[in-house]
Amino acid sequence: MRYTSFTSYDVVLLAQGLGVSLALFLTTTVIGLLLGTIWAVIRFYRVPVLSPLIAVLAELLKNSPVLVQLFLVFFGLPALLKINVTPVEAALITLSGNTAAFIYVIAVSAIESIGRDQIESARVFGLSRWQVLRHIIAPQAMAFAIGPLTGLLVNQLQVTSLISVIGVVDLTKIGNILNLRTLKPFIVWTIVGALYYATAKLVAFGGATLEKRLRAHSAWKGL
Amino acid sequence: MKPVSLLLGSRLTFDVTILAPHVPFLLKGALLTAEACGLALVGSLAIGFLVAALRTSSSPLLSRAAFVYVDLFRNIPFIVQLFFFFYGLPEIGIYIDAFSTGVIALSIAGGAFSSDVIRSGILAIDPGILEAAEVSGLSKPVIFRKIVMPIALRTSIRPLGSVFINLILTSSILSTITLNELTGSAKIVASDTFRPFEVYAVLLVVYASLTYLVSLAISALHRHLNRDRMPEVA
Repeated sequence: MRYTSFTSYDVVLLAQGLGVSLALFLTTTVIGLLLGTIWAVIRFYRVPVLSPLIAVLAELLKNSPVLVQLFLVFFGLPALLKINVTPVEAALITLSGNTAAFIYVIAVSAIESIGRDQIESARVFGLSRWQVLRHIIAPQAMAFAIGPLTGLLVNQLQVTSLISVIGVVDLTKIGNILNLRTLKPFIVWTIVGALYYATAKLVAFGGATLEKRLRAHSAWKGL
Repeated sequence: MKPVSLLLGSRLTFDVTILAPHVPFLLKGALLTAEACGLALVGSLAIGFLVAALRTSSSPLLSRAAFVYVDLFRNIPFIVQLFFFFYGLPEIGIYIDAFSTGVIALSIAGGAFSSDVIRSGILAIDPGILEAAEVSGLSKPVIFRKIVMPIALRTSIRPLGSVFINLILTSSILSTITLNELTGSAKIVASDTFRPFEVYAVLLVVYASLTYLVSLAISALHRHLNRDRMPEVA
């Protein structure tokens, strides 16, 4: 017996899928932010060996499909290292790494957007390199980076939909399940699309609000 | 051929030579990827120009409609759009193969991104040029075709290039609708050889080098199209 019609339980399923998507998105964003910033700081300090290595890694991660990266981690790593990788672990590793690569680029350009003269005068005032990074560069770079960062996160939210291919039961996977059960693709994918759209708008709105706050010091206050 | 194998301890082996017999099969997949991307590039440029024209038109209704299209297709994951078309089209009596569905979906999604790029290229055109064209008595379609399009295309060739690179990367998702393009073929090879790490590692490098070559080509094209402009622009 097959239930071809929609039931009220489907709402719970969709909410569950959205929850999984959101949880993975938020977790990988936080890890990606940390990792990407650390990579950018390593580049800022020009650490030998490490910084060119990171540049190559970021280039590889940015210029290859996330789907292939997912397959490499989910199917490749277990075969190479003889370990078990669950779909959720593979998704966490891949999405964090991918997000980190893009955040690295944004962070590097944000650091470079700050004039050398500022850094030099801060050094002349006797601030250490760490103090320069913490008090001069970080606040300005943050205000610079928040715009591109919002765009990136909206994009990364959509990238999370790919993890359904390796079996994580996220919103897209739920859509697949409902589609195969009800055979009403237009309704199912429209609802799933609408949920993604609403979430993306929420992320964009959050980014815009944060940007306004971070740039408040240089905002036009009126005459 | 001497096997190039990297022995990492006793259990970890990384040997890409096992892929050698599968290269022709993978090349066939790569060709399919190239075809899909080529067609989708043409499609998304056509849609992009049309939608950019609508968005920059003076009619509020048309520009609103174009904005809704761009907003929707940029904010919904491509895989959801793809499934929408793949499972939805047969429902309304349109039976086309996975390849056409993929190209159509890629064109529509790519069109949304490229229209945004072309739009900013159009908005960057000096209004004086358009006024001069209007004063010369050219009709609106002629102005768009002969004046706006060439200028917008050459200023936005670089961002259009990154849209195209994204299109190539996105085309890997077509493997989820039973299309055996590069990623789809690699999946088959991986399950045939039981060496997924080698297969996907090579695939990752292949995609990265492919997109790198494309970006080199785009830079060359950009320089060629802007050869007569000031050095700070080119």
